Amino acid sequence: MTTQTQTMEHAHHRKVLRYSVGPRIVHWMMALSFLLLLFTGMVIFLPFLSHYASGGNSRLLHRIGAVIYMSIPVIYLFVDRKALKELLWDSFHYDRDDMKWLAHVYRYFMGHAAEMPPQGRLNAGQKLHHAGVVIFSAFIVISGLILWFGKGYMGPINLGIAAIFHDVSMLVLTVLLVGHLYFTFVYKALSGMTSGYIEEEDALLEHPKWVEELPAEEPWVVEEA
Amino acid sequence: MTDYAFLLDLGRCIGCEACVAACKTGNELPTDLQFIQISEKSTGTFPDVTSLVLNHRCFHCTNAACVEVCPTGALYKEDGLTRLNREACSGCSYCVDACPFGVPQIYDGFSSKCDGCAEVVKAGGTPWCVKTCPNHALMYDTRENILAAAQNRLEALKGRYPDARIYGETEAGGLGMIVVMPDKPEAFDLPENPEPAFVIKAWQDLVQPVSAALTGLSIVVTGALAIIARRNHMQELARFEEDLAQREVAEATAGDSSQETTAEKEEV
Amino acid sequence: MARVKLQITRRAFMKSALAGGGGLAMAGLGAGAGLAAPPARIIDGEPGWFYRGEIKRTYNYCDMCPWRCGVIVESVNGQVYKIDGNPADPKSRGMLCARGQGGVSFMYDPDRLQAPMVRTGERGEGKFQEVTWTEALDQAAEKIQAIADEYGPESIAIFGHTSGDFWLTDYFAQAFGTPNAAKPSASLCTSPREEASTLTFGLPVGGHEPVDWDYLKCLTLIGSHIGEDSRNTLMQDYTNAWARGAKVIVVDPRMSTVASKADYWLPIKPGTDTALLLAWMNVIINENRYDAEYVAEWTEGFEALKAHVQAFTPEWAAGITELPAELIAETARVMADNAPQAVIMPGRHTTWYGNDTQRMRAEYLINSLLGAYGRQGGFYFNKSPYIESYPHPPFLVKGTSGGCSAGPSEDVANAPLPAGPTGKHRADGVREDFLRGATAMQELIDPMISGEPYPIKGLIVYGVNLLNSIPDTERTKEALKKLDFVLVIDVLPQEHVAWADIVLPEATYLERYDELWTVAHKTPYIAMREPAVEPLYDTKPAWWMARELGLRLDMDKYFKWQDIEEYLNTRLMSVGSSLDKMREQNGVIIQKGKPYFEDYGNKSPFHTKSKKIELFAHELELAGLGGLPVYEEIEQPPDGYMRLLYGRHPVHTFAKTQNTPVLHALYPENEVWINEDLAAAQGFKDGDMVWLENQDGARSGPVRVKATQRIRKDAVYLVHGFGQNAPGLSRANGKGASDTKLETRYALDPISGGAGMRVNFVHLVKEA
Repeated sequence: MTTQTQTMEHAHHRKVLRYSVGPRIVHWMMALSFLLLLFTGMVIFLPFLSHYASGGNSRLLHRIGAVIYMSIPVIYLFVDRKALKELLWDSFHYDRDDMKWLAHVYRYFMGHAAEMPPQGRLNAGQKLHHAGVVIFSAFIVISGLILWFGKGYMGPINLGIAAIFHDVSMLVLTVLLVGHLYFTFVYKALSGMTSGYIEEEDALLEHPKWVEELPAEEPWVVEEA
Repeated sequence: MTDYAFLLDLGRCIGCEACVAACKTGNELPTDLQFIQISEKSTGTFPDVTSLVLNHRCFHCTNAACVEVCPTGALYKEDGLTRLNREACSGCSYCVDACPFGVPQIYDGFSSKCDGCAEVVKAGGTPWCVKTCPNHALMYDTRENILAAAQNRLEALKGRYPDARIYGETEAGGLGMIVVMPDKPEAFDLPENPEPAFVIKAWQDLVQPVSAALTGLSIVVTGALAIIARRNHMQELARFEEDLAQREVAEATAGDSSQETTAEKEEV
Repeated sequence: MARVKLQITRRAFMKSALAGGGGLAMAGLGAGAGLAAPPARIIDGEPGWFYRGEIKRTYNYCDMCPWRCGVIVESVNGQVYKIDGNPADPKSRGMLCARGQGGVSFMYDPDRLQAPMVRTGERGEGKFQEVTWTEALDQAAEKIQAIADEYGPESIAIFGHTSGDFWLTDYFAQAFGTPNAAKPSASLCTSPREEASTLTFGLPVGGHEPVDWDYLKCLTLIGSHIGEDSRNTLMQDYTNAWARGAKVIVVDPRMSTVASKADYWLPIKPGTDTALLLAWMNVIINENRYDAEYVAEWTEGFEALKAHVQAFTPEWAAGITELPAELIAETARVMADNAPQAVIMPGRHTTWYGNDTQRMRAEYLINSLLGAYGRQGGFYFNKSPYIESYPHPPFLVKGTSGGCSAGPSEDVANAPLPAGPTGKHRADGVREDFLRGATAMQELIDPMISGEPYPIKGLIVYGVNLLNSIPDTERTKEALKKLDFVLVIDVLPQEHVAWADIVLPEATYLERYDELWTVAHKTPYIAMREPAVEPLYDTKPAWWMARELGLRLDMDKYFKWQDIEEYLNTRLMSVGSSLDKMREQNGVIIQKGKPYFEDYGNKSPFHTKSKKIELFAHELELAGLGGLPVYEEIEQPPDGYMRLLYGRHPVHTFAKTQNTPVLHALYPENEVWINEDLAAAQGFKDGDMVWLENQDGARSGPVRVKATQRIRKDAVYLVHGFGQNAPGLSRANGKGASDTKLETRYALDPISGGAGMRVNFVHLVKEA
């Protein structure tokens, strides 16, 4: 009995490597640059904050943020080419389970992952999130570049269109961020992006198909109690 | 509150640039900055030539695109004129692009344009350009008086120029620079309709508030639901762990042989 | 402009605003919304200058052009900030042109001459050493005395321009004993119109053309470009008349701005104006459109004129002027229909082709046929204000030394010429090379080289941009090399300053008192000049320099006054005023004029021998110069060349303001106007940089091409005053092309001594 109990104890404290160090760095660079962009952009968006924009320092910070943000795909490419490829491929490929999952997303939203169709490394929601980030980042980057380099030459129509694209993209990305934070909180998923590991049971509950495909040894860490 | 306005009589203006120099000196503008640009534009072939004096400056639109797009409130309307508080400017240059007249310029990093001599007028003076104009092509008064004066000027001008008209009575919600012109606006390189572009208005009046509202809404909704959803999840996680534990116990009791069975089952 | 950075808190800022606000309200119309916290100032966030302390207002008359509008200069804490028109002044009426507005910038031009200097290198090299005023004046007096001792005081020539010229060119020159004092405003500018006027009416035109603008119905301009030549009052009066519906006829080979607003533009072939004027007379006389009563009462020689113009039909003129005959006739009728409120305005710069006095006479004859003189809406009779001179012993030279007007005289031709104490009269060849008029500056250059009729050994240049105003600059340089002594007084290191032996830096008009400005006008008036601030650097006013030189040259008896205020107050006493009283009366003394015939009772306002308008000029007939104007064909440009015409830009005066920071910013370099089709045929387009080369191979440039339909194909046009070769002028140096340097020749007007400068031809050369 004692040995069995020991095994059980071990099983409960098994952790699995969700994100290796490369993608984690990239994630946090993206997060920080996005927040920098969000706050420095917000000062010219929300009138009661506008005095922080005076003098143009916020514009300088916004541009620094923009350069970091735009360089992330390149950095990702160097840091972990495979992970980037996988991320992009996954984000735009949905199987039957994914579709079913999406149909029942409100249940997932309310914290019920158990009854959802089984998901792979990324659940359909995460895939959509990533796809949204990719698409709207492209929009926000292009419109941002137009606003930056067309400054003083583009005229009212181009300004209006670029600004609208920029703002709508910002809206979408911000709402995606809000959702991202929400799910991170609800599914206590932060550790995947800090230590890189998540609890085995979390992995089994939310990403059973992924866990199955995982190799038996390498990504697992068994913590002694 | 009374609205004020300028009168610019392009019939009378003979391009002497006195206004430009008065503006530059009175406002202590840097040598390479001017708020008024005088030029001439000619059409036709010798000797049937028409030449017009262009007097380009801020037209002080009521529906001012620059004010519309200014994110910091550095550009604002006051007394019917478009003011600029350069200290509040962020230098984003949206005004430069939005203005249908191409008036604001970025000087030394920040927007620069005629502010209707706000400081001078508040000290009881007359805008420098108006004060010095030897041709009486400029006036400054209440908008009402300026409009009346413009009508008189127009009557006089029609004798020579049948196409003469007043520009700015209604354009862009009414301009703070009422222009009496001997010809069509396009002859003076001015837009027939200087109303801010639809996208400019849609951006600040529609897209921005809707975006702000939706973002706010998403935060409120997720914030409220987060607690409930997390509780739900924690409960299901507890159940899942229990199941998992039971299954492990069951597996352990079943012994090594059962593992194969499980594997077989899954293959099916 | 130097700007004082002040750290002012909002609170302090409000206080000073209130302190200065009352004064500013006086200056404006008070249409503002009342004193509130003003927004930060446009550029650097400082409060506007008028909030920085108490505003000091001083009276002055503008020196940015010779029109000399009355102005109020506003300064705060010893810094001049703004100049505006003095509302009480009959010329400015509270308004000011761009040049006038640029006065502050002119004063604070960092390129200014800052201390007296003595030459250390060769003439023309521009190498100098700074010295004290005592050293500079002692040396100058010594040199002048030495020349006077050996050759007589007549051997010192004095050239002067700008508003302090009185002290050197008039007061000092006459006291010292030289009749060779000249102003460019005469023989390089207005001599023809003045002599024509004196010959016809016995009256000069005077500074301010006496057009009775308020009632005018038809204005004809021959080459005058009001607006581009931005004489403040003229712009005001012209625009009011135009807006009132007065007909405007502009004769100009180039569509000037004023021509673009005119009812008729006559793009005449250059040099044929007299043919047009004769044809106009032909129409007016033959169609009986002249004022017969007026002609009978006030003119002499009508029958001769009538006979004279018979051959000069519009058809005849059409072939010469390249204008349609019908247009010529129609414009003559428009003038006549509006008579006597119809005038051909005498231009200012009228030294064009060498036959200019006759052309001016032709203009006056038309005005006379239309009965314009002494009539409301035509020409009023201007009158000089009454005021006594400062009492001084008789001058060594009697008679006027030059300037815009020769002064009314009944018998100019036979009056003794002004002469110095040794009996030598002017060396400019008057009565030999030309008939009469003010001293011809350009004719004093040859005597400096040849020593004929007698040597001129010393030259004092006050405010004349010598190498950018007198044609044939190579000759001028040769003369400058030959002279024993050259003294230059100026504000800026102009091109000719490099040729001086001694340079004296002058304080600008904003930093000095000056002689009263006494203006012949419809309402004669006197304006004052007082300093707004102390002179910058080590500069001094002209009156002080003239007096200090005078005291060193044993001329004490002419300089009894201790300072300028005493001088001015003494003069003002004769009209019951003083500087203090003038300050209380808005800086001007206005007297009553005698503008119309009614004001003369039974007397004639005309000062000719006959007391009438002399349509036929006996004096000219006797001199063999023709009692009636005729059209003479002038030399035409050779193949491939265009006639060089020149004029003004609204923000620049002569060759004086090109370096003034604010004005330089508005028009930094000139362009060469050339007919667009012609330019295209020659392979040039708008914006190309080219050199101009004249018939003698003289070159100037590089200059930008302005290809336009607004000019004829036989002429090009330059704004005067650019293309200066003066390294000390950091902004103006080398910018644009110089018309003066392309004027290697000129045609001497045999009547007035004017130097006709539009007799040079140029072609465009691609930039090397």
